[in-house]
Amino acid sequence: MSSELVIGAVKAIVVLLLVLNLTALLLWFERKGSALMQDRVGANRAAILGVGRRLGLPNLGLVNTLVADSLKLFTKEDFVPAGADRFLHALAPFLALFPVLVTFAVVPLGDVIRLGGRTVELQAAPLNAAVLYLLATLGLGVYGVALGGWASNNRWALLGGIRASAQMLSYEIAMGLGILSMVMTYGTLDLQAMCRAQGGVWLGWLPRWGIFIQPLAFVLLLVAGIAESKRVPFDLPEGESELVAGYFTEYSGGKQAVFMFTDFAEVVLVAVLLTLFFFGGWQVPYLYSDGFHLPGGFLLALPQAAVALLGVVAFFVKTLVFCCFQLLVRWVMPRMRYDQLMRLGWKGLLPLGLINVVATACVVVLAGGVG
Amino acid sequence: MPVGVIKVARPAPTLAQRRPWLALLVGLWVATRHFFQSAFLFARGRQNFTVHFPEQRFLQPPAMRGMPVLVRMSNGKERCVACGLCEWACPTSCITIFPAETADGVERYPEVFDIDMSRCMFCGLCEEACPEEAIVMSRQVEIACYSRRGSLWHKEDLLVPRDQLQTRLDYLHRHYDA
Repeated sequence: MSSELVIGAVKAIVVLLLVLNLTALLLWFERKGSALMQDRVGANRAAILGVGRRLGLPNLGLVNTLVADSLKLFTKEDFVPAGADRFLHALAPFLALFPVLVTFAVVPLGDVIRLGGRTVELQAAPLNAAVLYLLATLGLGVYGVALGGWASNNRWALLGGIRASAQMLSYEIAMGLGILSMVMTYGTLDLQAMCRAQGGVWLGWLPRWGIFIQPLAFVLLLVAGIAESKRVPFDLPEGESELVAGYFTEYSGGKQAVFMFTDFAEVVLVAVLLTLFFFGGWQVPYLYSDGFHLPGGFLLALPQAAVALLGVVAFFVKTLVFCCFQLLVRWVMPRMRYDQLMRLGWKGLLPLGLINVVATACVVVLAGGVG
Repeated sequence: MPVGVIKVARPAPTLAQRRPWLALLVGLWVATRHFFQSAFLFARGRQNFTVHFPEQRFLQPPAMRGMPVLVRMSNGKERCVACGLCEWACPTSCITIFPAETADGVERYPEVFDIDMSRCMFCGLCEEACPEEAIVMSRQVEIACYSRRGSLWHKEDLLVPRDQLQTRLDYLHRHYDA
């Protein structure tokens, strides 16, 4: 029993650390990557005792974004405006961050690994109703933001909080419909089972990934996911040209850093969801539990541990690709107007999602399953 | 037809311009292409066209109006005769001149010639007003300082040998003598 507990705790810590590090990496990519996209140089000044330059390395801005930025934010004055609810004001950023981080508990990072006769699922919490849990925690995300806007005693912040809650509720429906079609397709609420169902190939070469049977649901989840993470082109809640900074107008220092971190953790979360539902999670094309089965009939045998490790690597590669894609979208698209945002949510994505669910249901009933 | 109206033939909008979602895809492609181009250049140690300022500098064109400086002649003296026209022309009154007589009793010279760089707006009117080509705009722009006192430049700091200012003087001759 106690060894189960130890394994569970280790898995939880590993998942949490992975998410935090990935998020920090995105902070770096947001600055340096956007600089490259716009033919700028980007952060390249900060260094620790000039070590990199002495070794002749180019300054990639890692110290700047990962050390200097966070040091600056956490040593700045933590200002609470007069008339603000001090307790709720302090609670809000953490209430925003917490649901995002705990969602990763049900994310399967890979297939099972066998350790000394013990089979360990590479999932912090092997839940058979993982999708329900996921939707519940995603729904909680709106509280922190709305609370931050409410507790600040500032009209801009309040408007930002209201916008955020309206937007997140609207797009949660489209997101839920997209996820619902995937649940119907695979006939399970278990994310690990969904990943397993995406193993193998169609027609001898096409991986059985969700994107090939549910492309519409993929678009739904992608758009709704970007809207949920409140990033450009859906960053109305913090629209700085109208609302200063929206719901975190009155936040500074560490609390503001937590809000910012939440944004990037949500980017990771959306990327993880897209990977899980549509790109086979930890599945590597043509890789089975005994090795690679290439389309030409070749077999490349691999030990089980190597297969599991490859799965984890594949999962992270896919997640990173989707993270980078979301950051790329930010530097391409202009911000939408609020009525455009609502029209897209209610008149565009919602009917599409409903049609997709009905079509999926018909196919599932008539053909007895899609896969 | 009203006078001066010219009908411009516009090219027909491309497919991407007519379809917003296609334009989005094109935008994604452009950003991705620039990302990989810049990443490749960065890996080669070259960035497109940015001048990395403190380490690298580039020579400003002679039309550049930097800090106003005084011309020092080959005999070590300033060319200025303390007529006060620049002081009079200066819109921000950043120039202060106290004239004095030279030993030969004919010419004057500025005993004090101060420019308050925190007030100077680099308009170049002093240069235009000067009948002696004694004050010209240099290429020097790195004049940040730690105190207000440091932004007050005296005659000794302002004097620059004439041959260092030759490009600007040639430029002035080209423009004003023509």
